[in-house]
Amino acid sequence: MNPLRSGAIVGLCITMLLLQGCSSWQVNQLAITLPTNGPEKTLAQLQRIDSPKRDQAQYLLNGGILKFYTGDLQGALQDLEQAKEIMSALDAVSITENLSALTTNETLRSYTGSPSDRILVHLMLSLSYLFSGDLDGARVEMLQANVTMKQLDDGSSVSGQLASVRFLAGVIYEIQGELDDAYISYRRALSIVQERQEPVPDGLLMSLLEVAQRSGREQEYQDLKDRYKVSSVKDTADKGHWVVFYFDGVVSAKSETRTSVFDAEVGTMVSIVLPRYGRSLYRPSPLLLRMGTTEKSTEVIEPMEARVREDLDRDQGKRVAAATVRAVAKYQLVREASSKDDFGGFLANIFTVVTEQADVRSWNMLPASVQVARISGPLNSSLNLSPAQFALPSLQQLGKERLGVVLLNSLNARVYQYPVPQGDTHEEP
Amino acid sequence: MKLWLGLFSLLWITACSTTVERVESDSTIDLSGAWNDSDSRLVAEEMIQDALSRPWIAEFGGQTGARPAVIVGTVRNLSHEHINVKTFVADMERALVNSGRVDFVASREERGEIRDERIDQDLNASESTRNAAGEELGADFMLQGQINTILDVDGKQQVRYYQVDLTLISMADNRKVWLGQKKIKKRVKNAKIRF
Repeated sequence: MNPLRSGAIVGLCITMLLLQGCSSWQVNQLAITLPTNGPEKTLAQLQRIDSPKRDQAQYLLNGGILKFYTGDLQGALQDLEQAKEIMSALDAVSITENLSALTTNETLRSYTGSPSDRILVHLMLSLSYLFSGDLDGARVEMLQANVTMKQLDDGSSVSGQLASVRFLAGVIYEIQGELDDAYISYRRALSIVQERQEPVPDGLLMSLLEVAQRSGREQEYQDLKDRYKVSSVKDTADKGHWVVFYFDGVVSAKSETRTSVFDAEVGTMVSIVLPRYGRSLYRPSPLLLRMGTTEKSTEVIEPMEARVREDLDRDQGKRVAAATVRAVAKYQLVREASSKDDFGGFLANIFTVVTEQADVRSWNMLPASVQVARISGPLNSSLNLSPAQFALPSLQQLGKERLGVVLLNSLNARVYQYPVPQGDTHEEP
Repeated sequence: MKLWLGLFSLLWITACSTTVERVESDSTIDLSGAWNDSDSRLVAEEMIQDALSRPWIAEFGGQTGARPAVIVGTVRNLSHEHINVKTFVADMERALVNSGRVDFVASREERGEIRDERIDQDLNASESTRNAAGEELGADFMLQGQINTILDVDGKQQVRYYQVDLTLISMADNRKVWLGQKKIKKRVKNAKIRF
């Protein structure tokens, strides 16, 4: 083949691959600047990025959460439902993508989502349905999350199990008066937190105690009270509860790292590129709540910074093995090309070096932590939230419900609540 | 070589093009295994047949000499899927009204719009065409129900079991006069490999 033509083909391939890698890099940059730029601007920038079709699920997950933050709940539902469908359809093993990944790089696989992504999509959908006033829709998502978590449960670890999702399921069951299911969900959330040896948030403990007491589980109620040394909860007809969710910060984006491994087959060190998370500098900042004379603050139930690293570590062994096989194949290709023709060897060398890219895609616009709190008081008292400096009307004013849910985030001042007030969601004045 | 290239291109174009095929609206096409139009139709057919064959209509007619008026209450979706329950409820309403043996009155949401229109008529319509307030037909029975599912998943296989329960409750004394039930069971096998 004409050296000029072969050079052009290699150049074209490299350009195409670089352009594709470029969109991942752009999305990561958007995630990094999300706290400063805010969700509205970031969403507009995301929509301008031309993502390849195989990154569609990642694009929709990020678009969905940004739409949620901007108050476009219908848009969020549409994007997240679509992302969920795509991830489910991509569950089967692809022959062509595996072949491409084995010969070129991991970014040529479709984005199928990490175990946490597959569960969190239900959390975000459930919250979107809930704050749109569709309680049954929110319940459907929690049932689906339960099925997904059962599928991901390997029986030996809590990988793929999320306490925040179990907690939300408990809240939704509790609103609907399904106290047995609520108790089971809160209990599972507690087991996950305990198994991970993370601090048990007060909001989870209070929810568990309330439901244990109301569903007549005297022994469990007493055991929990003694174990966690908490005071009694008394349920009366004039008492209302608010469950507060707080999305704090933005989770880290992946970067790539180059490392060398020795391969016995070729008897030399080969260079491989792997995705990694840098050291997290995130420190959770809580939201303060006041209801009458009671004051509380939100506490972390899901440290997303830890979860995403857990997901990456879960498959790192397989990733290193695949990258090594690919590096060896590329090494042999270069050696063979060089033995035939110096220029061919040179081109093959450039091709193999440039095409080696780590898969740094992730649902990188998730919060860095999901925090929760539960505050109880008379039905006619309002809930004050700070530093948002926002007061929610009393539950009595909102309807017949004795349990309300509110969600705030650190990126903007939007407040979501259930029961949904007239005029949908509202912003801080 | 050119022939092979041509054939390959043709195959590629065919594989990528969108095709549309018109099918009978009552044909059963299962794609994902999720609740679909066929399930909705099966439920409606079963429920209609059952509701019309039970003694509650005749008993009510015998006591009052009138057709029973039914209102649709809440049909809750407690399943694992986002199911539009309105489709089979609408099918049931249509079939029961068309049977000439049951009247349906507007639901709570529908009534709001109608009442607004009546208020508007009061102000703007001529007296001979105006419909007065306070003349609505009160319902004798309320239809309530729920859809439940049980999902058993193992790897790429799953069994989906749907149970639809509808209850007709007498507004006069809370008696349950009719209980309808339809069960659907599906076995779904998802692909392990894709191209």
